[in-house]
Amino acid sequence: MVDEAMLLLEYLGAPVMALVLAVMTWSVIGWRSSGATREDGPPQRDNKTVVTTWLIVTSALAIFVVINPGFVGLAEIRGEPESDYVIEMVAQQFAWSVVYPNGAVGLDELVVPSEKRVRYDVNSLDVNHSFWIPAFRIKIDAVNGITTQAYATAEGEGSIDDDINLRVQCAELCGAGHANMYLPVRVVTDVEFNEYIATLLESE
Amino acid sequence: MTMVDSAPAAPPRAKARRPFRWVIRGTILAVVGYLAGVLLTVAIRGGSPTDEVAVIFGYVFALIGWLAGIGGIEAFGRQWVGKKPQVSEDRSWGRYFAFCVDHKVIGIQYGVTLIGVLLIGGIAAMIMRIELASPGVGVVDLDDFNKIVSMHGILMVAVAVAGVIGAFGNYIVPIQVGAADMAFPRINALAYWLLPPVAVGLLSAPLLGSFNAGWTAYAPLSVTNESGQILFNLAIITFGLVSILGAINILVTVITMRAPGMTWGRLPIFTWAAFATSLLAFTVTQFFAGALVLVTMDRVVGTAFFSGEVGTGLLYEHIFWFYSHPAVYIMVLPGFGVILELTTTFARKPLFAYKAVVAALLAIVGLSVVVWAHHMFTSGMANFLHGPFMILTEAISIPTGIIFLSIIGTLWQGKLWFRTPLVIAFGWLFNFLIGGITGIFLADVATDIHLHDTYFVVAHFHYTIVGGAIFALIAAVFYWFPKITGRMYNDKLGIVFGVWVTLAFNATFIPLFWAGMNGMNRRIGDYPPAYETANKIASISALILGASFLLFVGNLAYSAIRGPKAGPNPWNARTLEWLVSSPPTTHNFLSQPRIVGHPYDYGIEGSVHAYFPDLVVDDDHGSDDVDHDAEGALV
Repeated sequence: MVDEAMLLLEYLGAPVMALVLAVMTWSVIGWRSSGATREDGPPQRDNKTVVTTWLIVTSALAIFVVINPGFVGLAEIRGEPESDYVIEMVAQQFAWSVVYPNGAVGLDELVVPSEKRVRYDVNSLDVNHSFWIPAFRIKIDAVNGITTQAYATAEGEGSIDDDINLRVQCAELCGAGHANMYLPVRVVTDVEFNEYIATLLESE
Repeated sequence: MTMVDSAPAAPPRAKARRPFRWVIRGTILAVVGYLAGVLLTVAIRGGSPTDEVAVIFGYVFALIGWLAGIGGIEAFGRQWVGKKPQVSEDRSWGRYFAFCVDHKVIGIQYGVTLIGVLLIGGIAAMIMRIELASPGVGVVDLDDFNKIVSMHGILMVAVAVAGVIGAFGNYIVPIQVGAADMAFPRINALAYWLLPPVAVGLLSAPLLGSFNAGWTAYAPLSVTNESGQILFNLAIITFGLVSILGAINILVTVITMRAPGMTWGRLPIFTWAAFATSLLAFTVTQFFAGALVLVTMDRVVGTAFFSGEVGTGLLYEHIFWFYSHPAVYIMVLPGFGVILELTTTFARKPLFAYKAVVAALLAIVGLSVVVWAHHMFTSGMANFLHGPFMILTEAISIPTGIIFLSIIGTLWQGKLWFRTPLVIAFGWLFNFLIGGITGIFLADVATDIHLHDTYFVVAHFHYTIVGGAIFALIAAVFYWFPKITGRMYNDKLGIVFGVWVTLAFNATFIPLFWAGMNGMNRRIGDYPPAYETANKIASISALILGASFLLFVGNLAYSAIRGPKAGPNPWNARTLEWLVSSPPTTHNFLSQPRIVGHPYDYGIEGSVHAYFPDLVVDDDHGSDDVDHDAEGALV
């Protein structure tokens, strides 16, 4: 969805870009002057029709973008408040810990069930961090004293070895270890997920 | 064919007599003040002289000592004991190192200081790009990298905030409105002399462990990091004062000191832009200072505005962005003014849709204070705020679009004279266009949530701030250089520089859009190897970009001394600064200018912007039977 929105914005931006580039190019080719003659151009001070048209077109574009992808996207990323699982993510300088629905705590990786809607409850024990899984296109800051939430449904299976973006990356400057404050993400089937968290709980 | 209100012959240049005595006295008093503040604090409360409380008192006393020493005693202190105040009357180059109240001297002081800061910030950028050329930890470790990022950020923000408005707002605005100086010349000098302590404060932060919280200084990180942060806070609060005092001066000058006939509808567009900028700087700067005061209190006296049970880091973000989003417009609005001014001069056409542009500038001022939370879509603030801030942010693209329309409309069918300023203005146009279009991705909540705090954002704001403010600063330097120095630079080298800097800049930042979209976050000294190619291209291009500034500085430094005489009006422009000698005389005008028409009526038969009714005309080409409008008036 986010990728489609980006593509849409690229399509909308292209003609605007093209228009300005065309004028710039033609300025160099067609309207160039040596300056030697000190000749002036035509005295066009204003043109109400052009200004009004421009205002209408740019306003229409802005309104269009606010509606789609703006509010359409907003509705989609927010979605329903229901979720299949709640995973708690706790950030601190400079590590993540994961608290799974059954209370098991993971420190080395985040294991996520595929095709299930997961709510991430994000917290920080110290400074601001940000919970970002690039592959899922979600991000929410971890703020001390506040529980913030993000939703995502993973598709397919895989790990950071398949896709560098399958990682929980801290995205808010948090100090010396910020660059390396990430946690690999592994997407597994729902059954494997439940087995994994059960084993994890036993081993504690 | 133009008649110029100039001095008959420049008086022999005075010899500098002990030119550095004020700076030396200021430095001595600053050191004495620092020691006094620190010792007093240690004597009263004990503890170490590097405790933050001691540093704060040291800094405050040092600042007072510095201002007193640089000339504050004479300019202000004498008045407090009933004597007449004195300011530097130096005519030699020593006046650039003294408490001189001439707005033109102050403009040059700002310009040279800030270009110096730009180069230091540029060196920091080069170190960063060298480190990022390949993954892994190379020349600097991760924490030092964050500190260099923070230093680069805040130095460049200072240059972008004060560059065009400090240098050219000061130099050009009073002349463009037809005034002899700023409304408050002593305040103007005071504001400038607060700037060196800002630079010294920031650059000496490494002595106390530097600051690693970025230029944004988000709390609680800025509450818990090393003591260098306290120098950041003090320097930036001082910098806010520079900004506010400068803004008051420009506002009052434009409102009260316009020459007869200079109606608001005839005000040159750069002056309008400076006015709009000052309105904004005057209104919002104190919020950043306020946020930093609270951070300082959290650090030093144990308050808990940004941590603990009640306080929260979210509060800091709101106060910070309440300044720092408008600050983006404080950076680029003067740039709009410069580029519009240039376009009309070099297209030889009236500024297209002047009134709409003025309305757009003021609309941007208004809208820019209600869009701040678009920096906070991922911050965890209440969800219902997303929609309104998205709408308002998209709305600001409409007045910005008017600025583009005016530039395009002015270029349309023009007689474009491609000298260095116009070449750089084209670079600006291209860059700011990309900056604007990529801004839509960040205004939109759904896409911003993924892109926030990635290299996409880094690339975007470099396109707007370097593209919009720094390119405009460079264009302004090339445009007004002949006016300020009286000499012309090498135009071919200027064009080479213009093309070079534009290409290298784009080669540096285009790959970073890709890196950001594909998952590379910002402010990191190490990254997964997947992003190596993009970073390598960016690093190599950045070094080429950095090298271009050697040509910039070299060309201008040589030309300032050896360049051919430029004459009063090398661009055949119409605004008032081009109707006086280059450089202008001390009080700008030998006789009162009278404004009778619009400043940009290129190509309109018989149009006149201003003339000097009391000026004695040379008999060369001004006899009584000549049509005054066509010949004698200053076209």
